Amino acid sequence: MADTTLDQSMAEATPLRFSTRAAITHAVLILGALIVLLPFYTMLSLSLKAPHEIMQQTGGFLGSQELFRDDFCIKLGNAVQDCMVNPIIYNYATAFEKAPLLRYLLNGLIVTVSIFVIQVIVALPCAYALAKLRFWGREAVFALVLFCLLIPVHAIALPLYIMLAKVGLTNTYAALIIPWTISVFGIFLMRQFFMTVPDDLIDAARMDGMSEYAIIWQVMLPTAIPALMAFGIFSVVAHWNDYFWPRIVITGNRDLFTPPLGLREFKGDADGDNFGPMMATACIIVTPLIVCFLLAQRRFIEGITLSGMK
Amino acid sequence: MPQSRVYLWFIGPALLLMCVILLIPILIAGGLSLTDYSLGNTGASFVGLENYERIFTRSTYEKMFGATFRYVFVVVPLTVGLGLGAALLIDSLGRFGDLYKTIYFLPVMAALIAMAIVWEFAFHPTIGIVNATLERGCGTVLERWDWYAQGCERTFPLWLNDRDYAIWTVSFIGVWQGFGFNMVLYLAGLTSIPPSLYDAAEMDGAKSGWDRFRLVTWPLLGPTTVFVVTISFIRSFQVFDMVEAFYPQGGGPSKSVYVMMFAIYEKGIQQNLMGIGAAITVVFLAFVMILTLIQRWLVERRTHYV
Repeated sequence: MADTTLDQSMAEATPLRFSTRAAITHAVLILGALIVLLPFYTMLSLSLKAPHEIMQQTGGFLGSQELFRDDFCIKLGNAVQDCMVNPIIYNYATAFEKAPLLRYLLNGLIVTVSIFVIQVIVALPCAYALAKLRFWGREAVFALVLFCLLIPVHAIALPLYIMLAKVGLTNTYAALIIPWTISVFGIFLMRQFFMTVPDDLIDAARMDGMSEYAIIWQVMLPTAIPALMAFGIFSVVAHWNDYFWPRIVITGNRDLFTPPLGLREFKGDADGDNFGPMMATACIIVTPLIVCFLLAQRRFIEGITLSGMK
Repeated sequence: MPQSRVYLWFIGPALLLMCVILLIPILIAGGLSLTDYSLGNTGASFVGLENYERIFTRSTYEKMFGATFRYVFVVVPLTVGLGLGAALLIDSLGRFGDLYKTIYFLPVMAALIAMAIVWEFAFHPTIGIVNATLERGCGTVLERWDWYAQGCERTFPLWLNDRDYAIWTVSFIGVWQGFGFNMVLYLAGLTSIPPSLYDAAEMDGAKSGWDRFRLVTWPLLGPTTVFVVTISFIRSFQVFDMVEAFYPQGGGPSKSVYVMMFAIYEKGIQQNLMGIGAAITVVFLAFVMILTLIQRWLVERRTHYV
């Protein structure tokens, strides 16, 4: 009864609300969306345009897409007609040629995946023990986890760097990965999740003769997939985009550059008219995560919800 | 019990890594902050609290605190406020809400270093889109605004290269990047408010939307707000990427954007002055930890109420 009257009043109110309040709401949100999208638009547009169009701010979003003369190519002694290039091809080809961008992307992939896998291998058993096993000192360990949640790893970069330098590990993959192998946030998140798993499930598994290891990887892991996905998205986004830590431990060895370092290097030696290839590089670096996000949006937002609800 | 010792294998690796990667570095930072250590030197001499004294007296570090606090106290209120505002507006829409949510979340996903480089171009004094757009407004009513008229007459600001504008411009980019994250957290908080509470409030005489917000939404979003504010503080204290991309040397015009993470990087890594870098690290950690402890205290106090 109450529901039907509510529905009726909603039905009556909707057209009116749409005309006034909703219109204002949309106007505000669209304005915000334009500001949010502006740099994405700029980035994409510049990666498609020829240098002179960028400098003179002509050509709109796409540029005229006319062939233009690549001066560098002429400097190399080629004939003018061989040096006419299409802006899009020029920008993206230069992005890949000027620096080993593919290598950087591969490095990014290796580092982010390794970090996530190790984080799970370390955090999951610990979270299980904290949630489901009884042992002396459990409260103390959990208190330690809560304390470590206070420490931003970036803040202690200096002593970490010194430690890695002392054991000769700077400029290695290990240096990029080691500081992130322990995720207290992951332990905390998984522990909270495991607390909600009924004990009966674990008892039944024990009754079947499963070892504690088997319980973690065959019983707890499958139940924890949603939480793990959420954590994984967090971890991968943070480390793919991380610039501070790679900047510190990778000095000069380009073979180990992660995508953000590669882009930064590009900026470092970009002279005035090299914006096109630089923006192409930026597009290439930003695209993988954006595409993943657009494909798995709901999961992503669920993930963040999970972590916000402590 | 078969599980008697197995827990050691489960918590052992995590415990070891926590000690080596998180706890020991803090001790090292604390120890080094009392010395004049440099990497490569065999020894270091004990200098007592000299490094801390420098941090709290020299004008360079005064600028460091100034820049950091300016950034933090612009970015935190604005990302929280805009996050909440966007969440409320999106929540009030039936359709298209998800589209806005997706758009506003994009900056959170994009590598900040890449977007910083794009913003630097957008704020470029001569070929950037910001000043180009502003120039188009010349000759209209906007010129009645003194600042705008001045811009039209001479030039619009150099933004990132003007010491009066640089820190605010960087803060703007920080807000642009961060508010979508808070919006998502607030949207989650909003969905957990039972609709029946709004009906109850309405029966009790809360007629206007503002009343419903004041009496139901805002109090029930309390825990979310505490979390959002803390995480915004911690994230904005750690600003680095943009500063290093815009100003690889020296921290901006007249050091006006010399934020703490950049100071740690400059002193420790670029100049190999580990002692002073470690001292900044310790001060930084103290800030972050105090903030988080305040958050926990607030959360616990609240849970006693509810």
